[in-house]
Amino acid sequence: MDQQITGITTECPECAGEVPFDRPPLAGQVIPCPGCAAELEVVGLNPIRVDLAPEVEEDWGE
Amino acid sequence: MTALTAQRLSGHPPTDADAIAFVEHLVATPSVSGSEADAVRVYVHAGARIGMRCEIDRAGNGVARRGPEGAGVRIALLGHIDTVPGRIPVRTEGGVLHGRGSVDAKGPLAAMLVAAARADLPPGVALDVIAAVGEETHGSPGAVYVRDRMRPDACIIGEPSGWDGVTLGYKGRLVVHAQSVRPCAHSAGPDPSAGDDIHAWWARTLAAVERLNEGRAGAFERVQAKILRVHTSEDDAHERARIEAGFRIPVGLAPGDVLAIAERSARGEIEVTSSGGEHAVRSDRNDPVARALTHAVRGEGGRPRLKVKTGTADFNVVAPVWRCPIAAYGPGDSSLDHTPEERLDLDEYLRSIGVLRRAIEALARELRPPGR
Repeated sequence: MDQQITGITTECPECAGEVPFDRPPLAGQVIPCPGCAAELEVVGLNPIRVDLAPEVEEDWGE
Repeated sequence: MTALTAQRLSGHPPTDADAIAFVEHLVATPSVSGSEADAVRVYVHAGARIGMRCEIDRAGNGVARRGPEGAGVRIALLGHIDTVPGRIPVRTEGGVLHGRGSVDAKGPLAAMLVAAARADLPPGVALDVIAAVGEETHGSPGAVYVRDRMRPDACIIGEPSGWDGVTLGYKGRLVVHAQSVRPCAHSAGPDPSAGDDIHAWWARTLAAVERLNEGRAGAFERVQAKILRVHTSEDDAHERARIEAGFRIPVGLAPGDVLAIAERSARGEIEVTSSGGEHAVRSDRNDPVARALTHAVRGEGGRPRLKVKTGTADFNVVAPVWRCPIAAYGPGDSSLDHTPEERLDLDEYLRSIGVLRRAIEALARELRPPGR
């Protein structure tokens, strides 16, 4: 299923560019913005909303 | 194997007061590795009281189950009930529970059990909440036992990440034991001592590790080498020097790769053996369990933090075999692990139960058998 079939897009909060989904998005999914390469996390599905995904931190301990 | 019949009491599902009483009881019951039986009994009795089918398996693990025996989807919640030694007076002051194991990892374990009892599950989905023994020892016998006897469709490891944190991976580990032996000689003589030999081996090993680390940025990507113990001795004929060294190993390198460095550095002059040998593990951030947990943190009003850790956990034991979606989660500050300051904020503990419940329900919906 590609973007033309899903027709699902949202707006990048970083560059305001269009972010397409080639399949129905999933809650918590992380995708790159095709315009600015920002990592975006799907934070809402109805309506679809994305936010900047958190960076992965290094930590110690078990 | 000891089985308990589920007896639902009027308090089912567990209230917040039940959840706090449970974690306080669990932390107050000592369970240093190898002596977990009393705490395991507390665990399975608590599980039975809130409607779970509970048993103690042959390894001594406490197991609490929900859902049909032949479920099409099984989600494992794997925590550990053993602790390192160290007596910390168990008390709750100002909403903070002090005690050995409150963070590592009875808090995360208790949160998983309560969340599992509270979760709304679709038909065909089962939960197994496991209180493993021996996680703090080499070989992790409790996790190895369950690893070899079940194949869940998804797994949450119960380790402290903070209520808004999700741990994607852990480094691997190898312990190397090196020994130099020389005939006794006068210290004023020309030959090096056994201590000199073992010191030179360590210097060569460190130099090789540094070469391997070139171009690797960040502690999670680098091999870390640290001396754990140094010992010298002598008898009438020989002097001996020993080093026990710990290596933390990144994804992409195997324990055997690090052992090979230690052996090459030995140049045939030093005896080298090893123990442990866990591979590093790291889930993708789009892993279904990681997604479920991060979205659940947002659902509880937080902004998720994703982590990779330089330590090891039962994550390293089960992930390479189960090869299922997996991430680690639990309340508590892991910098307090193994310290005399170990303590758990009970508000954080209750919030983590909410996160776990949401994550379990989301995973159950996503993984449930077709047509259900």
